[in-house]
Amino acid sequence: MDINGPLKNLRVLEIGDFISVAYAGKLLADLGAEVIKIEKPITGDSLRSHGPFPKDIPHIEKSGLHLFLNTNKKSVTLDLATEDGQDLLISAVADVDLVISNLSLEDGANDPLSYESLSKKNDMLVMSSITIFGYDTPYRDWAGTALTATAASGASKKIGSPDKVPLWLPYCAADFQGGIHGAIAALLALRKKRQLNQGLHAWISVVEVMASYLGGSGVPGFVFQGILGSRDGTHRSGFYPWQVAPASDGFVEVITMVDEQWKRFINLMDNPDWADDPRLSDRWLSFEWHKELDAFWHPWMKGKTRSELFKLFSENRIPFQPVNTVDEIAKSEHLTLRGFWHEIEHPVVGSYKIPGAPYLFSKTPWAVYRPAPQLGEHNEEFFKTRLGLTASERSSLAKLGIT
Amino acid sequence: MTTTTDGPLSGIRVIDHGHVWAGPLLGMSFKDMGAEVIKIQSPTGGSGVSMAGKGMVGTATRDAVDISDPMAYHAFDRGKKSLSLDLQTKDGKEIYKKLIAVSDVVVENFSARVMPSLGLGFDVLTKVNPKIILASLSATGATDGPWRDLVTYGPSLAALYGIKSVLGYHDSDHPQEDQADLDPTAAGHAFFAILAALEYRDATGRGQHIDLAQGEACIQRIAEPLMDYFLNGRVAGPQGNRYPATAPHGYYKTSGLDEWVSISVRNQEEWEVFKDLAAQKSKNITNSKFETLQGRLDNQDELDETVESWTKNYTAMQLTKILQQSKIPAYPVMGALDLVNDENLNSLHRSSLTVTDNNFSLDSVYRGVIWKLEKGQGEISGPTPSTGADNDEILIDLLGYEEEKVIKFRSNGII
Repeated sequence: MDINGPLKNLRVLEIGDFISVAYAGKLLADLGAEVIKIEKPITGDSLRSHGPFPKDIPHIEKSGLHLFLNTNKKSVTLDLATEDGQDLLISAVADVDLVISNLSLEDGANDPLSYESLSKKNDMLVMSSITIFGYDTPYRDWAGTALTATAASGASKKIGSPDKVPLWLPYCAADFQGGIHGAIAALLALRKKRQLNQGLHAWISVVEVMASYLGGSGVPGFVFQGILGSRDGTHRSGFYPWQVAPASDGFVEVITMVDEQWKRFINLMDNPDWADDPRLSDRWLSFEWHKELDAFWHPWMKGKTRSELFKLFSENRIPFQPVNTVDEIAKSEHLTLRGFWHEIEHPVVGSYKIPGAPYLFSKTPWAVYRPAPQLGEHNEEFFKTRLGLTASERSSLAKLGIT
Repeated sequence: MTTTTDGPLSGIRVIDHGHVWAGPLLGMSFKDMGAEVIKIQSPTGGSGVSMAGKGMVGTATRDAVDISDPMAYHAFDRGKKSLSLDLQTKDGKEIYKKLIAVSDVVVENFSARVMPSLGLGFDVLTKVNPKIILASLSATGATDGPWRDLVTYGPSLAALYGIKSVLGYHDSDHPQEDQADLDPTAAGHAFFAILAALEYRDATGRGQHIDLAQGEACIQRIAEPLMDYFLNGRVAGPQGNRYPATAPHGYYKTSGLDEWVSISVRNQEEWEVFKDLAAQKSKNITNSKFETLQGRLDNQDELDETVESWTKNYTAMQLTKILQQSKIPAYPVMGALDLVNDENLNSLHRSSLTVTDNNFSLDSVYRGVIWKLEKGQGEISGPTPSTGADNDEILIDLLGYEEEKVIKFRSNGII
C-alpha cells in the first residue's frame, strides 16, 4: 500500500515511554510520516506490558494500548541508558527531521538526550519534548504522570461529588492531550526551521495544556468572576439544567444554553404547570433549587428509555443525548457508516478493531499502512542499512544487551 | 522576510468562521503563532460570537451574546481582524470569494449543512483557489449518518460518544459532570491536521477539505476501554481515580480542608520506596497483601485507606515534597486560587501572564501560548477587534475595492 499521507516525507524518531509521546508519534505516523520507535531491549515500551490483553494473558505483542498507539511505526530496540546506545542514537539522528520525546531532561542542555546533545550531528534537527511540568521551570525534574498533570492543572477540583474525593480524567486523558500538543509543537517548529534554515527545540507542558482547557472553573473564571467553585457532582452550576439525568435504563446528558431549547423541552412534556415556577424564571439562578426542580421532571425521564428519549429530543432539536456505554458506541450505526472503526490484521494477535481516523482528509487520507510493530522488528533495517553496522558489530551490541 | 522572533505561521492567512469555543480557539491558535486571522462576522450581530461572557474566558455566561461589549469575547479572538459580511447576499458571496482567492486556510465549526447551503462548500472554494484548505469541525461529521445534524454541546457529545460513561465513582454507575473539554480537544486535533495539510500544500500546491467530527477526535482518549471491549468484550464503567495495572493511584486526603494530594506509584521499585516513606505513620502499609502489584490491585479499598492514614498527617505540599524527593509522582490537587499562585504555572506563563490593554480595565490574566519554541515563540498580539473593525483595510487594501464601493456595501448592509 503506497503511503499517501500529507506527512509522507517526514522522518521521525520517537524516544520515551508510555502514552503521551506514543500518541504524538501515532498522529504523525497515521498521516504518513516514517516514525521509528526506539524501545528498551527485552521489555520494550511499558505500553507493551500494560494491557488490556486478550483473555488477560500478558504478552508483549498483544497489549491493546500498544496495538492502538503504535500503528504504522517501526520498532528498534536500543538501550538509551548506555553511552553506546546514546552514541548510536546521535548517529541515527543525523538522518531524520524530527525527534519526539517525553523523557524528562533532568540535566537540561547537558542531558545526554537533550536537544543540544542530539543535534550534534544535525544542526537542522527539530525536537519536540512533551514534559509534565515544563522545560524552563523550577519543577522540570519533578516526576509526573497523567494523574499528576490532571491534579496540577486544576482540572479535577470541580469534578465529582462535594462530599467525596475529586476525580481525575480517566484512562490518562491528560497524556493524550500532551500527545496532541507535542505533535503540534513539532509541526510548528518544522515550519520555523525552514524560515530560519536552522534546527530548534520546542516543548509543551501537559499541566499547562490541561490548565488551558479549563473554562469558567479554572483560573480565568476565578480571576474575572471570583468563582472558586465546589464540586457539583452529577450537575454543573451555572445555568440550569446542566446535568447527567436519569432515564429508565441509564442516563442522559441534559444541557440547554438557549431558552428556545428549554421551551421545546417543556413543550415536549405537554407544558406542565411547574414550568411557570418562579424559581425557573431566571435559569442562571435556578441551580440553588436544583433538587426541588429536578423532582418536577426526573419522573418523566425515568419513565422512558434512553433511546426513546434520544428520538424525542432529536426530533425536537433539543441537545440532550444519551450516555452511551463503551459497547454501545462501538456498535453505533453512525460510526459504522462513517467507517470509523478500523479492522487490523496482525501477524501475532490476529484480527481486531481499533478506533480510527480523528479526521477525514479529502486528498491525503489517514490510513493504517501496517499494524503496531513487533519489538525490534526493524532492528536489522535500522542498524545495518541506516547506520551501516557490520554483522559482528550488530551481534556484539546485542550480546551486550544494548540492542 | 521572517526573523527569529516571528511566529512560525507568519505569512499564512486564515479565514475564521468560528463560533462558541472550538472554532474561535482554533483561529486563536493560528494567530498566537503568527498567522493573519480574519474573523467573519454578521453585520447585524448574533453570529460569530465566541463563547466567553463578560470579562470571562472560555465559558458561557448570561452575557454571552452581548457583542457590543468587546470584553464579551476577547479571549479567543485576541489579535484577530474582523470583517463583517452578509454571506446570504450576492455581493457578500463575491467579496468572500475574492478573499478566499488570497487566503490559505478556512476554519468553521458550523453544523455540516451550513457552508454548502450558503453555496460556499469545499467544491466551490477549491474552484476559486485550489490551494485552499478548509477545515470543518462539526459535532458528528459531514458525511451521511443518523447523527449528522444533531444539535449538541460538548457535554452531550461526550455522553453520546461514550466518554462520559467512564467518568464517575467506581462504586456507582451514575456518571459525574465533566469539565466540558471536548471543544479544546477537537480544536487541538484540527490544528494538527491543518498544519499537516499545509505541509502537503507547500510541497504540491494542492489544498484539501478536512472533515473533523469532534466526537471522533475526542473518543481517541478512551481507546483503552474500547480496546478491552474489542479484545475481550468487557464493558468498562466509571473508574473513580483508578487506573489498570497501577496501585496506589489516586487522590488522597491531607490535613487540609478539601485538600488532596495526587499519588501514582508506577512500578515495584517506586512501591518499595513509597512503602518505606509511608511506614513512618502507617503500620498497615507493610502488610504482606500489598507486596505485589496484584495484591495491591486485589485489595485496593484497603490500600487506599492505608495510604490515607499516612497522608492525612501532612499538607498536600508537604507530601508532594516528600514524594518528589524520592522521584515519586505527586502534586496537590489544585483549585483555581492555588493555580493563580502556582510557581510552576507562573514560570511557564512568564512572557504572557499579564497584558496591558487599553480596551480593558482589568489587569487581565490570559492563558499563555502553550507551544514553546526556542525561537519564534508565539505571543498574544493584540485585543479582540470590534465587529467590522478591519472592513476598510481588508476590502480596499487587500481586495482592491474602490472606497465608494465600500461605502455602498456599508449602506446596503453587505458589511
